[in-house]
Amino acid sequence: MSLTLVIGNKNYSSWSMRPWIAMKANDIPFKEVLIPLYLPGSKEEILKHSPAGKVPILIDGDQQVWESLSILEYLAERFPDAKLWPSDARARSHARSISSEMHAGFMALRTHCTMNLWLPPKPRPATHTPEVMENLARIETIWSDCRKRYGGPFLFGKTFGNADAMYAPVVARFRNYGLPVTAETRAYMDAVMALPAWREWYDAGMKETWIMRHNEPDWPLVRGKPVE
Amino acid sequence: MSLTLVIGNKNYSSWSLRPWIAMTAAGIPFEEKLIPFETPEFRREAGPAAKVPLLIDGPIRVWESLAILEYLAERFPGAKLWPADIAARAHARAIASEMHAGFTALRGHLPVNFARKVMKRPLTPPVAADVARIEAMWGECHARYGGPFLFGTSFGAADAMYAPVVSRLLTYDVDVSPATRATMDAVTALPAWRQWRDAGVAEPWVYAEDEVDWPQVHRA
Repeated sequence: MSLTLVIGNKNYSSWSMRPWIAMKANDIPFKEVLIPLYLPGSKEEILKHSPAGKVPILIDGDQQVWESLSILEYLAERFPDAKLWPSDARARSHARSISSEMHAGFMALRTHCTMNLWLPPKPRPATHTPEVMENLARIETIWSDCRKRYGGPFLFGKTFGNADAMYAPVVARFRNYGLPVTAETRAYMDAVMALPAWREWYDAGMKETWIMRHNEPDWPLVRGKPVE
Repeated sequence: MSLTLVIGNKNYSSWSLRPWIAMTAAGIPFEEKLIPFETPEFRREAGPAAKVPLLIDGPIRVWESLAILEYLAERFPGAKLWPADIAARAHARAIASEMHAGFTALRGHLPVNFARKVMKRPLTPPVAADVARIEAMWGECHARYGGPFLFGTSFGAADAMYAPVVSRLLTYDVDVSPATRATMDAVTALPAWRQWRDAGVAEPWVYAEDEVDWPQVHRA
């Protein structure tokens, strides 16, 4: 009954954040193993846990589950009371559609606005390419459609579920890169960022010291200051 | 009780192939609506994300191939699209997700094109790495679950997710192990596979961006 979640750096690893925040927000107990990414030996360390060589990885006894979305599916089966998917079949199919859309899509946003929690939040127009703005528009439509249909504050109602977890890193991207979001979008972002689970992840990320140059858009400034 | 599956061209649409072959192989009845890419009708009909495939079930619209497969697995439990055992099911979902979001080098370099004459295309190192990962994954499934399909004797959602890869490996004559070849043979022997392929080969549409030999278009 003891779960282990293998993750990357909290400041940068958007995929790791998804199952982590879903489990924390729903009080599913687990042990965390953090492997800082892109350091000598990182890859070998990850491969010890999963043949796909990528984080996050959930370990449940002799079962290993990789890929954020399939970990969330596994948790939904394993902890039905957490209601990680909506209980209504129609809403559940909707939640899975938008989760899959996130899982495989929004490449422009993910490439230009890599997750970086300690990046001082402000508009970075160089990253607001037409493709990124298209991604933003589509995501704003998805979120507002869900909140209208299911009443908010989260995508499928009152509880933070798998679809919210899939989009949690997007909240960080919108915030840190200062994307011009609507008030409605901002309200959703605020609901997510008010979660104790969000703050716990964020605080831990801010304390990290590993710097990935290719994920620092203001280089040679990091956290707003020149690197040594 | 009547389902409609909106798909793109059969020759090129790898994402459409997935739910189509899963449903056809499992004997789930549906009406097919094919909308050729790059037409105004496509933009209008292709659902909230403007992408195919799209499954319509009464008032319900499900998009994204993986989400459609999840929906079908719930709606038709008798089809056993996911393995019955929870550990095997988690494994099937992990490799299905890995396909859904990954292997971009392979997908970019070897686009699905059933009608293309089978000819070797040299692999770049990232594409070769993708092929190696897929071969390892399929090999592990066979060793664990006994084949001929990834999770045993019936063609399921994980097989459906990888069906376009079978087409890519065949069309570009990729060198693979005998074990991988056996997996490919099991898939291509399905009547559902032959039905899709024959329809794709008969289509008139040609898209330059999916023809790797452009301006040449090689046909068998």
